[in-house]
Amino acid sequence: MRLEIGSFKVKDIVFGGETACRGGVLTVNAEEALRVVREDRHITEAELKIVRPGDMVRLCPVKDSVEFRCKVNGGEGAYPGVTSPLGQAGMGRTHVIDGATLLTVGRHWGGFQDGLIDMGGHYQHYTIWGDMPNLVLVADTDELDEQREQQKRNHAIRWAGLRLAEHIAQCIRDLEPDTLDVYELPPLDARGEEVKKLPGVVYVLQPQTQMEALGYNTLVYGWDGNRMLPTFMHPNEFLDGCLVSGSFMPSSSKISTYEFSTNPMIKRLYAQHGKTINFLGVILSTLNPKMEEKVRCVQMAGQIAVAVGAKGAVVAEEGYGNPDVDYTAMLVELERLGIKTIGISDEATGRDGASQPLVSMNPATDALVSTGNVSQFYELPAMEVIGELEALARDGNSGGWEGCINPDGSCVMENNGMFCANHISGYSRRSCADF
Amino acid sequence: MAKEIERAGFPVVVMCNLIDVAKTVGSNRIVPTVSVPYPLGDPTLSKDEEWTLRYHRVGVALDSLAKDIEAPEVFKVNI
Amino acid sequence: MKAIHYINQFFGQVGGEDAADSRPIFHDAPIGCSMMLNGMMPDVEVTNTIVCGDNYITNHTEEALAEIFAWLDGRDFDIFFAGPAFMAGRYGVGCGLVCKAVAARYNVPVISSMNEENPGVEEYKADCLIFRGGRKATFMKADLTLMAKYAEKLAKGEKLLSAAEEGYFPRGIRSEIPAPGGVMAADRVIDMLLKKLNGEPFQTELVIPKTDRIPPAEAVKDLSKCTIALVSTSGVVPSDNPDRIQSASAQKWGKYNISGMDSLPAGEYKTIHAGFDPEAMCAVPDRGIPLDAMRVYEKEGKFAKLYDYYYVTVGTGTTQNYAAKFGKEIAAELKQAKVDAVVLTAT
Repeated sequence: MRLEIGSFKVKDIVFGGETACRGGVLTVNAEEALRVVREDRHITEAELKIVRPGDMVRLCPVKDSVEFRCKVNGGEGAYPGVTSPLGQAGMGRTHVIDGATLLTVGRHWGGFQDGLIDMGGHYQHYTIWGDMPNLVLVADTDELDEQREQQKRNHAIRWAGLRLAEHIAQCIRDLEPDTLDVYELPPLDARGEEVKKLPGVVYVLQPQTQMEALGYNTLVYGWDGNRMLPTFMHPNEFLDGCLVSGSFMPSSSKISTYEFSTNPMIKRLYAQHGKTINFLGVILSTLNPKMEEKVRCVQMAGQIAVAVGAKGAVVAEEGYGNPDVDYTAMLVELERLGIKTIGISDEATGRDGASQPLVSMNPATDALVSTGNVSQFYELPAMEVIGELEALARDGNSGGWEGCINPDGSCVMENNGMFCANHISGYSRRSCADF
Repeated sequence: MAKEIERAGFPVVVMCNLIDVAKTVGSNRIVPTVSVPYPLGDPTLSKDEEWTLRYHRVGVALDSLAKDIEAPEVFKVNI
Repeated sequence: MKAIHYINQFFGQVGGEDAADSRPIFHDAPIGCSMMLNGMMPDVEVTNTIVCGDNYITNHTEEALAEIFAWLDGRDFDIFFAGPAFMAGRYGVGCGLVCKAVAARYNVPVISSMNEENPGVEEYKADCLIFRGGRKATFMKADLTLMAKYAEKLAKGEKLLSAAEEGYFPRGIRSEIPAPGGVMAADRVIDMLLKKLNGEPFQTELVIPKTDRIPPAEAVKDLSKCTIALVSTSGVVPSDNPDRIQSASAQKWGKYNISGMDSLPAGEYKTIHAGFDPEAMCAVPDRGIPLDAMRVYEKEGKFAKLYDYYYVTVGTGTTQNYAAKFGKEIAAELKQAKVDAVVLTAT
């Protein structure tokens, strides 16, 4: 499978008369853009803002982040099976705007799974969004059935983001990109002898799929991840939009749609392919609430890894708490099968730092990369807010609580509520240590 | 040392002074002794009293070997 | 800032093992190694030294702490130091229990130093900052330096780094840090992956502790039918120490025939243990290895047979590796001898 990703580097976003990408600047016609957003009649209110690194601005409640990308040829659209007809992702050419994202923010209502981003101040670099300009869609919806629910599907706003990002990226569709990256991995048996001699490595992704009710989980070509079993996939599918981030799990442990499609772990494994490893592919597994489901998935994923000849594996868990059981079980099973594993996820050490960092621990998991601590206590100074800060305290945000916002607009929170901040996708520049 | 002997399958009763230290090195059956320089005796006692003490504590230790335990246990001594 | 320093009878110049029962002595100025510690800290003044015997603090803890509290109450201090205790087990435990009690009562930072094999580390590392120390007193300066550095940071309000970077034993607390060098997690994964695939050493970011607890062995069914062996770390050996077992940091064990004997007579047996005053045990070796009581129980039929040999080594300073090795070797012998259970006397 061969995928070309053409990148258009941008350093800034501005509003203007014509949506265009020139000289490192993305210009957005706001009116046109909002028309695309309002195609969904459930969107009752929408506006666009631009935030830049260093702006003393706080975004809350953030729902998702999406890369501006469009399919040039060889596929059906940026998110096949979701906002486009179903089609094979991972082939042909895709154009992306590199160095900026679209963020979707609730005008009022947040929830358990939504997060907070600071564009300036002490926490600017706690998320990747503080390091780049972002177009911000702030919207409200008529989804009254879930307005007061802690768990929200956030369907209208999340889908509006996907449509809007793809719409804006149409401006680069027919242009020559600044750089062209080619991602090509032939079928396993068609690889050269030199490559086959290298240790085979699989990336085992455990996206968040724990909600039994539909509409909250990570989507795979539009299919709810809760209803699937482990399967073997091509890395290109991920770099070409086969996954859309869900709307469940404390925010800092989530992986945004932007990260799923720019997955740095997959890119690093690709870069090692043919040099130090034979990157066999991705085993897409799941995270499940029931013990039997956990065992079944681990068993099936292990079998796939053996069948494709894996000698090494990187296991990524999108979440913490109960899913740690799936995470540790996967690592232990692969080790048992003789596959050398590395785990990447975050920790929950409790307010005093003394809690067991993972719900399930096993000494066989001897190579773990830690991306953050959901229990870490953050103190945030007052800042201009895009959205509604009250959502952090009022709507059951996983990192906030009633009374966590002071009258002067400063607030306290747990890492839990910072949007995708632990970057389990691999972007995290934080870790944890013993004290 | 006690740990390795127990690992080999022998019930072991550890008679020692620093109870918590013994616990942390993984002993399971523990009977407290009098002190470090004289674990099972006491030069300040009369010969008879000292014998009674040693006889009692060794007896507690022997009894502990016949008692099934789930977790580390410090057995009580009366003398 | 002001600090008070706790040390034992040896470093407090009261005496050696003979003074291990000495009660707390409170000095109005730093003495001995406290003076060295004081000289290392421009921003912290060591105002007093407390000296206490290792046996007194560990055997009469309540009384000792009451005396120490009575003296500390109302005194003005911001930091409490204890040690360094090196490999000295009772000194380490003493430092740990004093630090823990002082932290609880006065809510001040408590700082100590011990060698990793000091039992005080396992027991008290969660309750006080115990810096990684050397095995013996020749490391005094190095160990005090680590303690002093940290106290200086506290005094200046400087950023405190992780346990590994500061050099103390982790207290069981984990916290977020910027990744060293700001390296992205995906790059850290690749680095670890390649090392692991190539069989090179690598460092996990989250150490999963080995649960090395041995589940309790099954109890004996019928004590009256059992053969029981005596094992000891008391250092009680035949007077000529035929196997030349070392008095400290032992690298071997001995086994000695006791068949037909009803006790270990003074003069014929003695302890070679260097970790305590040997007088009491040399006078009555059964105080260390209770052969007399075992023999009486055997005759009474409480158990069937006392195994013909007892096994012994010296506990003080013996490394965990050696202790484990001894345990394995002795267990193998006991198995062959069809022994059912073990009474182990430790010092």
